[in-house]
Amino acid sequence: MSKKVPQSHIRNFSIIAHIDHGKSTLADRIIQECGAVTERQMSSQVMDTMDIEKERGITIKAQSVRLDYIAKDGEHYILNLIDTPGHVDFSYEVSRSLASSEGALLIIDAAQGVEAQTIANVYIALDNDLELIPVVNKIDLPSAEPYRVLEEVEEAIGLDCTEHSLVSAKTGQGVPELIEAIVDRIPPPNGDETASTKALIYDSWFDNYLGALALVRVYEGKIEKGQKIEIMSTKEEHQVLDLMYPNPISPIKTDSINTGEIGIVVTGLKSVDGLQVGDTITDAKNPTAKSIEGFESAKPFVFAGIYPIETDKFEDLRDALNKLKLNDSSISFEPESSLALGSGFRTGFLGMLHMEVIKERLEREFNLELIATAPTVIYEVEKTNGERVTIQNPFDLPPAQNISKIYEPYIKATILTPTEFLGNIIKLLNDRRGIQVKMDYINETRVLLEYDIPMNEIVMDFYDKLKSTTKGYASFDYEPIGFREGNLVKLDIRVAGEVVDALSIIVPEEKARSRGLAFVNSLKELIPRQLFEVAIQASIGNNIIARTNVKSMGKNVTAKCYGGDITRKRKLLEKQKAGKKRMKAIGSVNVPQEAFMAVLKLE
Amino acid sequence: MLLYIHIPYCDSKCYYCSFNSYTDKFYSRENYILALIKQLEFELKRFRVKTCNIESIFIGGGTPSTITPKLYEYIFKTLEPFIMSGAEITIEANPNSATLSWLSGVYELGVNRVSFGVQSFNNRKLRALNRSHSTNQAINAVKNAKKVGFSHISLDLIYNYMNDTKEILKRDIDIAFNLPIDHISAYELTIEDGTKFSLTPEVKQEDNDLAFFIADEIKRRGFEHYEISNFGKYKSYHNRGYWQLKDYIGVGAGAVGFKKDRRYYPSINIDNYIKNPLDIREEILTKEDILTEKIFLGLRSNIGIDETILNKDIVKKADFLVEKGKLIKDGKVYKNINFFLSDEIALYLL
Repeated sequence: MSKKVPQSHIRNFSIIAHIDHGKSTLADRIIQECGAVTERQMSSQVMDTMDIEKERGITIKAQSVRLDYIAKDGEHYILNLIDTPGHVDFSYEVSRSLASSEGALLIIDAAQGVEAQTIANVYIALDNDLELIPVVNKIDLPSAEPYRVLEEVEEAIGLDCTEHSLVSAKTGQGVPELIEAIVDRIPPPNGDETASTKALIYDSWFDNYLGALALVRVYEGKIEKGQKIEIMSTKEEHQVLDLMYPNPISPIKTDSINTGEIGIVVTGLKSVDGLQVGDTITDAKNPTAKSIEGFESAKPFVFAGIYPIETDKFEDLRDALNKLKLNDSSISFEPESSLALGSGFRTGFLGMLHMEVIKERLEREFNLELIATAPTVIYEVEKTNGERVTIQNPFDLPPAQNISKIYEPYIKATILTPTEFLGNIIKLLNDRRGIQVKMDYINETRVLLEYDIPMNEIVMDFYDKLKSTTKGYASFDYEPIGFREGNLVKLDIRVAGEVVDALSIIVPEEKARSRGLAFVNSLKELIPRQLFEVAIQASIGNNIIARTNVKSMGKNVTAKCYGGDITRKRKLLEKQKAGKKRMKAIGSVNVPQEAFMAVLKLE
Repeated sequence: MLLYIHIPYCDSKCYYCSFNSYTDKFYSRENYILALIKQLEFELKRFRVKTCNIESIFIGGGTPSTITPKLYEYIFKTLEPFIMSGAEITIEANPNSATLSWLSGVYELGVNRVSFGVQSFNNRKLRALNRSHSTNQAINAVKNAKKVGFSHISLDLIYNYMNDTKEILKRDIDIAFNLPIDHISAYELTIEDGTKFSLTPEVKQEDNDLAFFIADEIKRRGFEHYEISNFGKYKSYHNRGYWQLKDYIGVGAGAVGFKKDRRYYPSINIDNYIKNPLDIREEILTKEDILTEKIFLGLRSNIGIDETILNKDIVKKADFLVEKGKLIKDGKVYKNINFFLSDEIALYLL
């Protein structure tokens, strides 16, 4: 059992950084320095426990760890390290993690300098009144320029960097000094120990043995084993079955989590649904007066249809989604059916990466083969009869004559780029209907841009385009800023005369013609030749605005079939048949899976 | 009843060939023929073959011209009472081993059709395919066969080997038609697993136009295109039997036999076969398997598909293809007008 210490000896801190600036490596190094993990147990990035996180080198779920530390002053301190997800899709989780801390290490790569995400996260940290310690990482790199980077931080963020740490998480250089700085500079928690329980759920997940678990920060009072607690947004009451402190190897049991501490609450719930991130836990008999501010359910931002390739796997997909939902309440899904793809689910995600990760987990952990349609945002439609509807699937957009106004979600995009790519980026943003809000030179080589831009233009292939036009040097972050009216139309694709519901997209009217043409041409390349010539058309309502043809096939035969070994030939044919079955038949046309994502790659 | 006899010996292994044959087992030839006769006697009983009941015989390989007429005599002695008068008896031969005396020897035994593995009249291409004969040997072999008395002579050609052009193939066809042949099998090169070419699959070129070009050139000279790869003034009775799913006996290591709903596979390994020629694997075909085979075989050749074997669903699709000009209907039989599309049409119907 980890020793109890007074609040004055507790330090709760997060690490915020742009992706790849070495956050997880530094976390590992701090854990090691405090002796919580032996050398042998130290696999790289111990805090990233999901396979996909390790493979991609990203952090998806926020993790935490409680560390015992004897400082130079000889006192015993508890350091609670709260790791934060490093991707824009998970910004809500970032904000909740930060809300649980009194301070944060702001990691900046010594060679790359300030990036868009650094700025976005710093604003969240400042909103939460956190003490920030600027930490320049990777100072062992030959290209490291720590002082230039610190100047950039002062210029771009306006943060005083007089007191800072220079470290190499890789070699460990500067890390002991950094830990001392954490003890010295980050304020201890200061909650009312005698008040009723008030704790913030800042992460929750599902454990196969223990059920749903909540990771909490106790602000006031304490949580005790056996206590009856209330979840404030739902008013549900639960018994605390067990309590633990988080540890990278295995959690440490405790009888109470006191004021200022973090810990894991075991309730035995069957799903994380009832333990949403951002919610407040209090005592059921003697509840606290006010819940902690800022709670919102994680809202899906991007939607796509997910369909099993084999139509009889629909129920398997439902089971798999239900299981993932146990652990990730931000996924939403409801059954939908498509003429082209059969039965599947319209699924909501926090963002593009979240969608990719979920699709990959469904395929990998549940052994499903899936088709995902192109991702889309939510639209608010005001109909001529006054009714207001929400559209998650472009195909469901009412006919133009019934629409009075369409509203689409906008985001505020923050982009940091070397000046040499400024022209390219501005062109890209203009093409994507972006509206410039800010353009600041943070020094002579780098520019900070802020744009308001329709989310619809981001879900298509904005990341890839941004990367390719800037050779990967620009960084990007965003936050939703609400809905605005747009001049939008539904573009349908017809294959052999039939509208393919899963291929419909919503586009700005002025771009409909060029998009339609690019779309049909890209489908022409993807749809294999069939027995008959196949017309591929783009239309708005009944107006055909672009068309092309896939020519009919001239030859498909495996020439040899002699010596009487007809079985062999039959098996070859059956193999071809299975190959065709993997494609989706629309009318009598076989359409390969890639076609359903083709819209993402249009020029 | 049809009979196939497999001779698994070759002088050299062609780089594209996946048929069962050996270049280093010539010592076993006599024992092999003895084993083959043992299997033949068994099959004649199993298939309940009556006197004068065998309509055609095909001796394939491998290279049947690596076996002397003397050895074939033993086989023909066993077969004699069962062969129908006027039966088509074909033997495959390689131009380098089909000498005048060999040809006349097998002709004397009653063989009346010979099929030469010519593949090309271009020496460079022959070497690249690892053929063991030359252009001149091929020309002489065909002429010798005619001299000996064969009235039905066929030769094989291969196309879509890399760098094949219309000019190269037109020259092959021109030379072929200057010879006394009444049949050509023109095969597109296929890369088969386990062959030398499977290591360099790029030797096959993908040129669909060339297939149509060859077919047109051969047809233009008066041969009928009666199956994807087969053209002739005379159409092989034996091959047509396979495509109609007639029963056939298959003897030898690597042969295949068929009766009603069963396919028979004797051992492929020569040594095993010699030890136990009756160790025969059996495959049972379902009704669907047979329907599938009837459909694709019918589409690959001018045999077509009889409407009465099809269910309503398939008839509907077939009628649609007739309407679209992809098939024609001749009485109750659907016929394919472009054999090169046969797989695609079969997949559409099935």
